[in-house]
Amino acid sequence: MPTDAQVHPYDLKNINTPSRLKSLWRLLTGFRLSYLGATLSIGLAATAKTGTYLLLRYFIDNFFVETGQSINLVQIALAFVGLALTEGTFTFLSGRLAARTAEGITRRLRNYLFDHIQHLTFAYHSKTQTGELIQRVTSDVDAIRRFFSDQAIGVGRIILLFVINFIAIFNLHPLLAFLSIIVIPLVLVVSMQFFKRITKAYEDYQNQDGVLTTILQENLSGVRVVKAFARQEYEITKFEKENWEKFRRGKKLMSIHSLFWPVSDLLCSAQMLAGYLIGALMAINGEISVGTYLAYAGMLVWIIFPIRNLGRLIVQTSTGLVSLGRLIEIIREDREPLDEGDYQPETINGEIEFVNVGFEYEAEHAVLRDISFKVCPGQVVALLGGTGSGKTSLVNLLPRFFEYQEGDILLDGVSLKRYPRKLLRRHIGIVEQEPFLFSRSIRENITYGVGREVSQEEVEQAARAAAIHDVIMSFPNGYQTIVGEKGVTVSGGQKQRIAIARTLLKNPRILILDDSTSAVDTETEAEIRRALQTLMQNRTTFIIAHRVQSIMNADLILVMDQGRIVQSGKHEDLVQQDGIYRRIYEIQTRIEDELEKEISSV
Amino acid sequence: MSDEYIEEEEFSGAFEGRVFRRILTLIAPYKMWVVGFLLSVVVVSILDAYFTYLSKQIIDQGIVPGNRSALVSILLQYGGLIVVQCVAVFGFIYLTAVLGERVRYDLRQSMFNHLQALSLNYYSRTPVGWIMARVNSDSDRVSEMVSWGIVDSTWGVMNIGTSLIFMFAINWRLALIVLAIIPILLVVAVFFQRRILREYRQVRKFNSKITGAYNENITGVRVVKALGREPENMREFDGLTGSMYRSAYRAAWLSALFLPSVQMISALALGTVVYVGGLQATVGGMTIGGIQAFVAYVTSMMWPIQDLARVFAELQLSIASAERIFSLLDAVPSVQDQPNSVDPGEIRGDIEFDHVSFGYEDGQSVLKDFSLKVKQGETIALVGPTGGGKSTIVNLVCRFYEPVSGTIRIDGRDYRELSMHAIQSRIGMVLQTPHLFSGSIRENIRYGRLNATDEEVERAAKLVGADTFIRTFSKGYDEEVGEGGSLLSVGQKQLISLARAILSNPQIFIMDEATSSVDTLTESLIQQGMETLMQGRTSFVIAHRLSTIKRADRILVIENGTIAEMGTHAELLRKRGKYYQLYTKQFRSQMEQAFNPFSNPAAQQA
Repeated sequence: MPTDAQVHPYDLKNINTPSRLKSLWRLLTGFRLSYLGATLSIGLAATAKTGTYLLLRYFIDNFFVETGQSINLVQIALAFVGLALTEGTFTFLSGRLAARTAEGITRRLRNYLFDHIQHLTFAYHSKTQTGELIQRVTSDVDAIRRFFSDQAIGVGRIILLFVINFIAIFNLHPLLAFLSIIVIPLVLVVSMQFFKRITKAYEDYQNQDGVLTTILQENLSGVRVVKAFARQEYEITKFEKENWEKFRRGKKLMSIHSLFWPVSDLLCSAQMLAGYLIGALMAINGEISVGTYLAYAGMLVWIIFPIRNLGRLIVQTSTGLVSLGRLIEIIREDREPLDEGDYQPETINGEIEFVNVGFEYEAEHAVLRDISFKVCPGQVVALLGGTGSGKTSLVNLLPRFFEYQEGDILLDGVSLKRYPRKLLRRHIGIVEQEPFLFSRSIRENITYGVGREVSQEEVEQAARAAAIHDVIMSFPNGYQTIVGEKGVTVSGGQKQRIAIARTLLKNPRILILDDSTSAVDTETEAEIRRALQTLMQNRTTFIIAHRVQSIMNADLILVMDQGRIVQSGKHEDLVQQDGIYRRIYEIQTRIEDELEKEISSV
Repeated sequence: MSDEYIEEEEFSGAFEGRVFRRILTLIAPYKMWVVGFLLSVVVVSILDAYFTYLSKQIIDQGIVPGNRSALVSILLQYGGLIVVQCVAVFGFIYLTAVLGERVRYDLRQSMFNHLQALSLNYYSRTPVGWIMARVNSDSDRVSEMVSWGIVDSTWGVMNIGTSLIFMFAINWRLALIVLAIIPILLVVAVFFQRRILREYRQVRKFNSKITGAYNENITGVRVVKALGREPENMREFDGLTGSMYRSAYRAAWLSALFLPSVQMISALALGTVVYVGGLQATVGGMTIGGIQAFVAYVTSMMWPIQDLARVFAELQLSIASAERIFSLLDAVPSVQDQPNSVDPGEIRGDIEFDHVSFGYEDGQSVLKDFSLKVKQGETIALVGPTGGGKSTIVNLVCRFYEPVSGTIRIDGRDYRELSMHAIQSRIGMVLQTPHLFSGSIRENIRYGRLNATDEEVERAAKLVGADTFIRTFSKGYDEEVGEGGSLLSVGQKQLISLARAILSNPQIFIMDEATSSVDTLTESLIQQGMETLMQGRTSFVIAHRLSTIKRADRILVIENGTIAEMGTHAELLRKRGKYYQLYTKQFRSQMEQAFNPFSNPAAQQA
């Protein structure tokens, strides 16, 4: 047993072909031999089974009928055991090889999709629903797995059983062979029709299950509302209605099922009995021997009954092909080339210049227009503007999350487009207002993406600098606490400080901070501010801001509106100019005046 | 994932008569169904065995003596019985499956009903995912056991039993050999099924981990890309798929090994039969048909053995599932109606906290010796830091929880003397994150009063100023709100929940204001709606907006479970204490937002 599950390397990009069959064939790369082995084993197992019946025939005819003939009973018995052993061994082998193929292909597919998705562009991710993507990579991948483990191999098995037994019967008596398969096409058609219906009924049933789950989920999460309005009875009635509908659909599904088996049984049994009758009459007439009859009766079962399953497998295969199509749609998407770029300096100073940069997410919808400014290493640039003014889009260009269409951005005097994305991102740190945390330990979240071994001391040092150490220590398991588990909730401000700690460890040259006002109380706000100050030291920093106070010390303030820079300069200069900036600044003074009035008026 | 842990920790699934008897009560109402499918299954398995016997007769009575009429009559009998069997097959599949569905239905319903009665403290210590798993997968597993589990084991036992009877009838010596092998087969089968089942559970566990990994990597893709974590994540994911591969592969090849092994053992039996049978035949003790019948009986015995082993292996899991379901059904609501509680018919809305102490867990105290008298129609604003006890006060007023010590009085009467329905049906509540149910806007507003007419629903919406935005939707009041109201903005959801509250015409109004910023227009609508609602009603507002706070009759600064400051806006401001600090900070940040000079597309839209 190979304990190490090695994945055969193959670029699955190649399965993107117009022909689904070709795609399947390419998916099999590296496993074709195993799969061939699995198929051959099935054939051998079927042959051994048929061999048993032929041996039975020999045994009966030579031993029973022509009594007195001396044949070795021990040999016969051993031959039976030997054939069973052969059948068993090859059945096992085929199962094992098929499993290896199916599981191996699935694993490679899963890995490929995972890697592919994390390399797809931001443009792709922003237009794709997470739920749907996950649906595809889980259930569609599982449909492919079932295709290789059950359906393809099952169809092969049934066809081989049929062919081998048919040939054997044909050799015993050609006419008998043809008389034995009259209803086969009918059985196939009937079972396909039934399973189409069953698939449909099953989908209905599953959909209703989804409805029920939603009601339950909403009831549980809205338990306060239910109780506050005393709507328990109403909820029960609502649930009961849908629950009953599910029962009804389940009943319908099961009715089709419970009809299918007896109906197909009846068809197959009629064929079987007809076979018995014809065979028995032939035996009585002396056309075939008793042993031949016995062998025939045994093999007959194997060409009739499995056909019922063939119908099921064919119907299911079509679902597998649909799934494959959906997966190829993902695979077809282009990856973001992380290593592309010819300029790979050892270090980065952090001097950045925008030269007439223009950018749009989709054609004709300019998000940024004619952006030009220059920042020296270590300076702080503040971006001030309303929602949709283009602040976020501007900073998104720096790590090359998106590509600008016009002008150029120069980092240390070299066009950004010449830097590999990977290198850029290594030198840029981003702290969002409410960063995404992974459901791992706090420690892992802090060291996430640092890309080197980090000692506990270093982690704690970073956490202290980010003013989050004490909070972490108050969690049940300290740094090992898993985010989101056992009721450990991390507030927005705490998440932000964890991200600050992470960025401190990463030690980037360029920093992007989202400093939007958030609902944190005064103390937290001061702590975050201090932590940010530590972080900003000696790094070229871009701050996305909504308020003036936090950016008064910036080296360059860019006031943005509708994708343009409408004002730029230092605080001292901007307050002298007539414009948005001065208005914002004046509002601050006005607020204080109003507050004074408020308080004295009471 | 955490479900798995709970499963492993809490319930052993050990075979206990008590639990087992309780499981059987689930099918007690459907006795006739059980009798029906058991009879059908008995018919099916007896006929199965008899068919093999008929095949023997074809040879021994028809072919060997060359008797055509005997042959035809045997086949006619065979054909007739097949029709009978088909009816029985239909019967047992239908009856079993429908019974299974029915038990599923019953289990889900009784759990859901019981959940409605449970108190909030059950919900706060039980994760929603855990409850969902009980209602979905555990009910599936238990109903599978009481339907297919019973059928499969009956079929298995019957099949083996009847086969043995026929074998004994044909040749008792050979039958004894087969009888000796059955226990061995069973032991082997159980051994395999247990292992296979264990691997499949592993597969499921890894599967949910893999889904989780996909989910996180997609939702967190921005962080992943910004930090260049792609290679590391790929390595971790490969580890997961590797474990998954090993378990799935192992499960698959164990399954593949199972049947051949059982087959081998029966082949040995077969070899013995043929050997011994052959010897006997030479002395005329065994017919050709007899040999063939034995071969058929022994080979077909594998299936019932496999089924029996599977049912047995799953039994433990099903019992554990049942125990978890029963633990949910047996949970006692901590807040319940007192034996002779009353509904006074009307509540004015005087509320008094008399030396109330409360903690969510034993020994922990959130509210300490808290006293407060609120007159009918008064508006109380609760302010103060998170975790200070504001929500707890509100929870106690709603009687989601009851005081650990002290008394809460409504209209001068200990509220425990009143029925929960009497209190809760007279409360209107608007939550910080408003909760809506899937369905139309109309249905959501009507939730406040189920027999309200369409006009009343619309009037309520107009009163809180929600009418205008509702009419901008193409379907108006019949617009779907999406799961949990996801198709609406927070501000819109809040307006709808205000309309819902006003429709219920409550005597007591409770509101937890949203902290997240809502655009200015919606904000002022919400303010107006609240004002309308609070008129003449006793109101508790966990307040964040200045206008709300200022308008309150009394402001309570709640800190560490006690009232730090209390008074009107003017009184407290003059005091220059905690309220003063809170207020000035809130004033500044709110003004900054209000005077934002930038063009704000979001605000313009709304």
